[in-house]
Amino acid sequence: MAETVIQVENISKLYRLGKISSGSLRQDMQYWWGSSVLKKKNNFFGPDDIPGSMHINNDFIWALRNVSFDIQQGEVWGIVGRNGAGKSTLLKILSRIIRPTQGVIRGKGKISSLLEVGTGFHYELTGRENIFISGSMLGMKKNEIRRKFDEIVEFSGIEQFLDTPVKRYSSGMYVRLAFAVAANLDPDILIVDEALAVGDAEFQKKCIGKMKDVSTQSGRTIIFVSHNMQAINNLCSKVMWLQKGSLVASGDAKTIINSYLGTTQQKVWKQEWQSLDDAPGNEFIKVLSVKLIPQLPDPLAPIDIRTPLTIRFRFYNFGKQINLVTGIILFTNAGECIFDASHPSDVYDEGIIEGECTIPGHFLNDGSYYISIVFVKDTTQPLFTFEECLHFEVEDYREETSWYGKWQGYVRPQFPFTLKQYTS
Amino acid sequence: MSEKHISWDWEIKNKTTWLGASFKELYSYKDLLLRLVRKEFLASYQQTLLGPLWVILLPLLTVLTYVLVFNKVIGISTEGFPALLYYLTGITLWNLFSDIFLGIIPSFSQNAPIFSKVYFPRIIVPLSILLLHCVRFSIQFIFLLIVLLYYYFIDKINIDSGTLLFSIPAIITTAGIAFGAGLFFSIITVKYRDLLAMIQFIMRLFMFLCPIFYSLAMVPQKIKWLVVLNPLTSQFELFRYAFLGKGSFSGIQILYSVVGMLLLVIGGVLLFNKKGDQLMDVV
Repeated sequence: MAETVIQVENISKLYRLGKISSGSLRQDMQYWWGSSVLKKKNNFFGPDDIPGSMHINNDFIWALRNVSFDIQQGEVWGIVGRNGAGKSTLLKILSRIIRPTQGVIRGKGKISSLLEVGTGFHYELTGRENIFISGSMLGMKKNEIRRKFDEIVEFSGIEQFLDTPVKRYSSGMYVRLAFAVAANLDPDILIVDEALAVGDAEFQKKCIGKMKDVSTQSGRTIIFVSHNMQAINNLCSKVMWLQKGSLVASGDAKTIINSYLGTTQQKVWKQEWQSLDDAPGNEFIKVLSVKLIPQLPDPLAPIDIRTPLTIRFRFYNFGKQINLVTGIILFTNAGECIFDASHPSDVYDEGIIEGECTIPGHFLNDGSYYISIVFVKDTTQPLFTFEECLHFEVEDYREETSWYGKWQGYVRPQFPFTLKQYTS
Repeated sequence: MSEKHISWDWEIKNKTTWLGASFKELYSYKDLLLRLVRKEFLASYQQTLLGPLWVILLPLLTVLTYVLVFNKVIGISTEGFPALLYYLTGITLWNLFSDIFLGIIPSFSQNAPIFSKVYFPRIIVPLSILLLHCVRFSIQFIFLLIVLLYYYFIDKINIDSGTLLFSIPAIITTAGIAFGAGLFFSIITVKYRDLLAMIQFIMRLFMFLCPIFYSLAMVPQKIKWLVVLNPLTSQFELFRYAFLGKGSFSGIQILYSVVGMLLLVIGGVLLFNKKGDQLMDVV
């Protein structure tokens, strides 16, 4: 059995809201008067003490609550959770940047954390100089950096620009150099926070590959936070899932990711009602279910711009022999309508009706979208609009292109498009 | 528990310590310390016309201004020494103090982006600033020696190499006071940013409380206590004594400065270590 390298015992982190940066001497003098002279609770420099009475009101927030886990040597852990779940707070505590309000962490070996790309980089100085600065800040010794210098330069692919100030670098070059330094760190435990979310697809692949090498070949322990489930699935053997500061589950990567994706996306990808009484609608229409079914090659993959999306909905029609049309209206997150698609109108009788519409792949641009469904009688009389019933995100995907900026527009269709060279 | 026998390398708890990192840990970060000194030195002279020459040029220009104002216009005595040499002696030591003090104060506020992303003993940053300004000072010190030699040959001023050694304790005490006081203010100003503006003002006043343009012997008896109360006073007198062979200080005054320096350094370091961690929740 591998030995435990990190043992986290019941750590909690309490943040004070608002009052932290009162910033004026007068207010704090009053505070000091209240705390030291009148013997009230003292919080002069932030939450050193835990409010004993647990008067957790709007002033306090638990960023982490009683989180415990053990990490064995050589394991690669992924941390998943929505924004504000406490992932970054946990990494910061593990990296010794902030202290927990309660609890103890014990560990063995040297930790290096990679919470940002280009920690300590100085814009005015050359690439060469910055390799040394960033390297030593991340905990490398001078000789160690010297020894790995060529490897770092080769990995970054910026040999020609080594003696140029990094402020003249393109953002891509900057990221490459910064990651190259970090990738050649040699700690026992490596902590990585979404640093891979930068750079182009090709470089991201290279980074994930490098991390994979590191973990499999040298038995390094890695803790990795990302929103990219594919990267986590690819890299991690174990996953822990945080929600609102608490540990929901931890264990085998595939199992946890599946249940994580299941709960976080059910609300927006699928809505279902068992009885007509609960179902949304009115005296004409009751909606029984709406589902978004992405046609993904891999159930863990995110929806990206290539993914065809099928919308399947079921409703009960109370009208007898009515001329009915349903429409799918797609909006951007900002509320702008992209299209309103409907089927040819026809006559339907009372009963359950199922509709299906497919948005082809290579049509939507990356972004957040929501869908409303409308039900119209006789092409003019609206019966019911089921607003914002589905919500989904489309991720970017670019393999065959060379443009890495934000792609403009709401749609990204692939029209027949050719360019011909005519010699003069 | 069966895991009791496991010995851990480190432990993170909610309590912060006064002593901070152990010397062993600090020593393991010496490469970073030297790298930061180098970085600051290089960075401050990027895209400048004269580069590191400014280390000498700036005090020289300052001194020339003061010579014009205090000596030529107001006519304060320089005890028979060339005004340039007399003022340069005081200004060189003053610059050491003010550079270290003002350099250390923004340790936290300026480095907050780095502090929130990577761990190293926070005291490394003020230490690197201390070292940086010691390097700059040594250049200015050599320049001062050259000026002294110039007057030795041209104006036939007496130089006693024996007294020159007295400059070393004066330098150490002054740098220590600046370092300790800087650490105190670096912590306080994170919380109360309005103090930063006040410090600029106080420093300007404080400069005139140091015997740079005058000597303690010239101060009227009535307000002498105020100047003597300043722990830097005896150091300026000692420093001038080292260079020019003339200065008024007593053993008690020197002891007062040294004890004050030790208290400031120890207190500053302890406060910095204790409060530094907690400040990460504030900045």
